[in-house]
Amino acid sequence: MLKIEDYKVVFASVGLIGILLFASPTLGLVLRLPSGEKFSELWVLGPGHMAEDYPFNVRAGVNYLVYVGVGNHMGSSAYYVVYVKFRNQTESLPNATAGTPSPLPPLFEFRLFVEDGKSWEAPLRFSFSNVSFSENRSFVGGLMINGVTFNVDKSGSWDVENNGYYYQLFMELWMYNVESRAFEFHNRFVGLWLNMTG
Amino acid sequence: MKRLFRRFVKAPLSFLLIIIVFSLSLTRLPFRVSAGDEASSAIGEADNALRRAFEAVLDAERAGANVSNLIFKLNEAGRLLAEAENAYKMGKFSEAISKAEGCSVLANGVVGEALSLKSSALAAAQTAFWQNLTFSCFGGLAFLVALFFVWGRFKRAYAKKLLRMKPEVASDAED
Repeated sequence: MLKIEDYKVVFASVGLIGILLFASPTLGLVLRLPSGEKFSELWVLGPGHMAEDYPFNVRAGVNYLVYVGVGNHMGSSAYYVVYVKFRNQTESLPNATAGTPSPLPPLFEFRLFVEDGKSWEAPLRFSFSNVSFSENRSFVGGLMINGVTFNVDKSGSWDVENNGYYYQLFMELWMYNVESRAFEFHNRFVGLWLNMTG
Repeated sequence: MKRLFRRFVKAPLSFLLIIIVFSLSLTRLPFRVSAGDEASSAIGEADNALRRAFEAVLDAERAGANVSNLIFKLNEAGRLLAEAENAYKMGKFSEAISKAEGCSVLANGVVGEALSLKSSALAAAQTAFWQNLTFSCFGGLAFLVALFFVWGRFKRAYAKKLLRMKPEVASDAED
């Protein structure tokens, strides 16, 4: 048979557990538990909303479709801007190590607000115009994105290793920082390699 | 006669035409510049309005409000601002102005809604806090009183049981 002191310990433990249970609704409002890792996602999907059938061999006058998506896991709602940029092989991409964006000017932009744990997706339709080729060089005059035409005037040289005139359509994710009241590059970018054909 | 016509009518007329075309081009230039400026300032205002609206929505969210409906409206305003920026880049200034103004109107509306949502969320949070605190205090107290009552009964029962056990121990000792 247990001693009375042992029963005292059992009763004290039950009392403590009970007090904690009754206090838990109030403690839940007061205490803030540390949240998980905060991050955002940026993706590009093919025309079937899948990671396949991406446009690759492109030519002037043909419409291409991809989907751009953003996922928010920052712990609160976020205000994003997705900048669409276009470059040839010699122009620079964002630097993921330094966390700096590409110095190229943005052509098209999406402004979006996403709640925590939710995602956003929009179609990105594009086509090329004024494309010409001469002496191992290609020239792209116009790029239409979602019905808006931009004069890009880019030229690319023949890539001997990969046999093509390569350009890249890429998207950068920027996020609004409430403290600094400014948009900052969020160090996320995705791109599509495009081989310009005749 | 022809020479006279050329000298006194055609030459001054051509000169006059050149002057008119030149002056028209001069008057059109400031107009284009001012339309561009107006569009740029409308876009700037819309951008600021959208930032303020987002900050207000974020405040409401931190206060515990459900901001899904406001996020939907912000996305609509953001789409208008992006369209205004794209129209501005293409030189469509009047379209840029109208889209930017549409964005500002929506964003300012969102600020008002966010403020009212925030105040109602704060009031609801305060009510919930006091309800929970009351439940915790009274519930905890009632539980402790009940536990002490049970402990007292248990102690008495335990003591009785011990007393009942003593004679048996004594009889065992005699054996």
